[in-house]
Amino acid sequence: MAGSRLERFGTVFTRVRDLIRSGVIKPKEKPLWYDVYKTFPPKRAPLHVKPVTSPSAKKQEIVPEIFYSEDKIRTGFYEQYGRGLRALDLSKSNFVSTCQRFVDKYRELKSHGMLDKSSLFEETGKALLKEGIILRRRGAPPVLAESRDPVLDLKLIDMLAEQQSAGTDTTKTTEDKNS
Amino acid sequence: MAVRALTRGLLGFRYSRAATVASPCGGHHYVTAPSAKPPQPQAGDVTEKILNQPLEKADFFRVAELFSLKDLFDARVHLGHKKGCRHRLMEPYLYGCRLDHDIINLDQTMEHLQLALNFTAHIAYRGGIILFVSRRRQFGHLVETTAKDCGEYAHTRYWQGGLLTNANIQYGPGVRLPDLIIFLSTLNNVFQQHVGIRDAAKMNIPTVGVVDSNCNPSLVTYPVPGNDDTPAAVELYCRLFKMTINRAKDRRKQMELIHDVPSSSWKTDFNEATKNFH
Repeated sequence: MAGSRLERFGTVFTRVRDLIRSGVIKPKEKPLWYDVYKTFPPKRAPLHVKPVTSPSAKKQEIVPEIFYSEDKIRTGFYEQYGRGLRALDLSKSNFVSTCQRFVDKYRELKSHGMLDKSSLFEETGKALLKEGIILRRRGAPPVLAESRDPVLDLKLIDMLAEQQSAGTDTTKTTEDKNS
Repeated sequence: MAVRALTRGLLGFRYSRAATVASPCGGHHYVTAPSAKPPQPQAGDVTEKILNQPLEKADFFRVAELFSLKDLFDARVHLGHKKGCRHRLMEPYLYGCRLDHDIINLDQTMEHLQLALNFTAHIAYRGGIILFVSRRRQFGHLVETTAKDCGEYAHTRYWQGGLLTNANIQYGPGVRLPDLIIFLSTLNNVFQQHVGIRDAAKMNIPTVGVVDSNCNPSLVTYPVPGNDDTPAAVELYCRLFKMTINRAKDRRKQMELIHDVPSSSWKTDFNEATKNFH
């Protein structure tokens, strides 16, 4: 069975076609796939492309970067709240992550009329907290809805300073110190 | 039907209508009868008709209904490699780059996959030998079972240099080489192009290959741009190829039954037990 082994010259089809045309391959011996290829050719002829050796051939970017308008909101979210407390579950195709919920709530509030970016962020955070999602700011303890009990913030040193400035006698301060 | 076949016969029989009316039951009672081989042109003609009929329609085997864009998306076919691994020649097939991850254009993949499956179906219909090749060890068993289920062949081990180019010496004289090679991954274990692509082009064998964003699609006859690393994607491809090949072979059996051609050994190892009706 005759053949042509020049894979860098023309395509498989052109080589076989020319061999049939010149009579080297008899019409009875033509390969099985020849008619099928002729009727349904591929989108691009499988020609061999020489590898480009010079690195400075062309530098333009043909493949565009994919960015969405929601990416700005997402960057704001990730900057403020870090990676988010809930992990992403990629096995489910309809999974909504914390960031996505933030983005949806943000857009909802924006459509209601609020325009200021920083206020929108605050409002979205509060709205999500109302729904039950806890967001932790980067480097800070979790944001709580109501403020802490002021008694817990009292430091012993401040208490003692107050007591001293109030003018109590030394015995009472020593008692306080010991207790 | 036999009468019609004879009228198109190459040996140029002449018969009179009266004769056919007199003997309605067959080809061997004609007035001008004696010829050494009456059934042969009949069988050859019908076989030709069987072979050429599918070429008339655009999608004779209806392969386009086997998959949809959503199926491709759910199987993560659109996920390519990182920007640094990108092959220059894959750029036309990419939709874009999301944070340095290449995303393959699924609209183009749909068209290419349809062409590739259609070609595979036609080859299987004509009794061609199909060879599945993949050097990914993760999917070696899957590819081998796929080939077994279709009644075709697979080669998922080390590709010896002269497998195709030196076949007559390695396997004995007069070996029949595959008529189509399907690559489930066009790279070998060291991320270079598989030798089989170049060898198939040398031996004038068409190839169908799944090309990822780090592969070279230039020598593959029917490239299918898509992900070749995710198990979900590779399972999808294997399922699609298996369904098309089985569909094509069943169709061939049907056509032979319709045209009353005795099913000869046009495909000696067509395993009937593995027929799948999809």
